Amino acid sequence: MQRERQPKFAMISILLTVGAFILFVLATIVDSLSDYSNVLMVAGLALLAASWGIYFIGGRSLQRAEVATENVITVIGCKGCDIREERPFSEGDYVFKEIGPCKKCSGTSYIRAIYAISIKKD
Amino acid sequence: MNIVVVKMAIPVGQGLFPIGDDLSSIILNILWVVFFFSMILLFNQRLQIWTYQRNVEKATVKLQMLADKSREEALKSVQKYAQENTDVRSQVTAFLDFFTIEPVDRDPFGVLNRLEHLLDNRRDRFKAFVAQIAPKAGKAEAANTEDILEAAMALNFIFKVVRHFLILGKKTKSLMIFVQLDMQLPLIMKMAEAYFNAQKTFSAGKPIGDGLGPLVASKLMYGLPKRVIAEDIVCSETNISNRKAYVLKAEGPGGLLGKPGEAVKRLVEEMGGKVARIFMVDASSKLEGENTGEVVEGVGAAIGDPGPEKYKIEEVATKYKIPLDAIVCKMDLEEALTTMKKEIVEASDVIIEKIKKAIAERTKEGDVVIIAGIGNTIGIGQ
Ligand SMILES: [Zn+2]
Repeated sequence: MQRERQPKFAMISILLTVGAFILFVLATIVDSLSDYSNVLMVAGLALLAASWGIYFIGGRSLQRAEVATENVITVIGCKGCDIREERPFSEGDYVFKEIGPCKKCSGTSYIRAIYAISIKKD
Repeated sequence: MNIVVVKMAIPVGQGLFPIGDDLSSIILNILWVVFFFSMILLFNQRLQIWTYQRNVEKATVKLQMLADKSREEALKSVQKYAQENTDVRSQVTAFLDFFTIEPVDRDPFGVLNRLEHLLDNRRDRFKAFVAQIAPKAGKAEAANTEDILEAAMALNFIFKVVRHFLILGKKTKSLMIFVQLDMQLPLIMKMAEAYFNAQKTFSAGKPIGDGLGPLVASKLMYGLPKRVIAEDIVCSETNISNRKAYVLKAEGPGGLLGKPGEAVKRLVEEMGGKVARIFMVDASSKLEGENTGEVVEGVGAAIGDPGPEKYKIEEVATKYKIPLDAIVCKMDLEEALTTMKKEIVEASDVIIEKIKKAIAERTKEGDVVIIAGIGNTIGIGQ
């Protein structure tokens, strides 16, 4: 939720920091690069800035993308026969509500069950 | 002078940490060292506070959003049954801060009686408030509206507490307040989201996971004559393998819990204690890793009330030495508060089979048993 950063972003951020560190070390140790030390320093700082940016912005993108959408089903049965019908839930439905005569026989049909099937995958 | 300034900004040919006796490079070195030490020593905690504070602020914004939305939802559902020209908004907003003070337990004598009295008070006030503000609501709608208000109150409370600690942390600049808050946020947010989703389920009047107990009971009592035996509790008499079974549940399909403890107590007293077994069916919170809809058996009063109802059942069972069997179905808080899942509906049939088996195995023909379906009966009739 709040603090889970996507591991992908964390990895990129760390890699950039390591890259910046390597640049700094090279600029300091390798003599032949010393002419370009300014360029290297600017490049290193840019990498660091990018790393920080990704670290903070990356954390924001994972705010519960999955909204729990649910599919609620009303199951209709009959006292007289074994008819079984399913339809989407509509307001006013409740379990064991009697809803008029059966289509198939002369019995009374009623709501046998109401349940949700979650579409959200774990 | 000009040259020095240029050299400080761009230390040409010096590397990052140049070793030389040039004045500018020495100053640059010192600046670097000071910069690093100040970052590590002085601003370290500031940076940490800042990071934690940012997390908490984001969470608080989200909690406020949830609390606002749930208040609007509550207003919407009250408005449906309200008289025209009443100021619903200000009344509901004021009611969301309604509180209950727990009884003193330093002197524990009779604390459950006092708690029950306060809970009765609270429920009466809720009922009175809903009756006054939403007079057009029927019994079931009024009960659902009470549940909707409860959810809005819970969210309002969570938001206020988190905001309190956020402001307190800012005022005292205390890292520890932020750290503690931040560590609890995942659980707090999970709870808040559960209540928020619960409210949507309540306003649609769908059965919730906690309705498992009433669902089992209503499957056993459907089509039989019912009588009201205690506050909001109905009871039916049925026959299970030549044993007389009294089945009880809260009266649906409104969102009610009733007083199952009182009902069990009255039933047992009515029969002079001649009850062979009491079966209690309830939803139980699962541990992470356990499966939703898993049915487990045990002993004891399976009821998650604040105390009084549980106490009554234990007391009467102890008085007459009646064994208490508990059969529970596992689910997490969110599943208990939102629309009943298919696994839970399937578990209800498993539970009925278990009850029948247990009755056949552990009681004799002609015995009397009580089967109590505990939970919120919203969306479940009988
Ligand atoms: Zn039929």
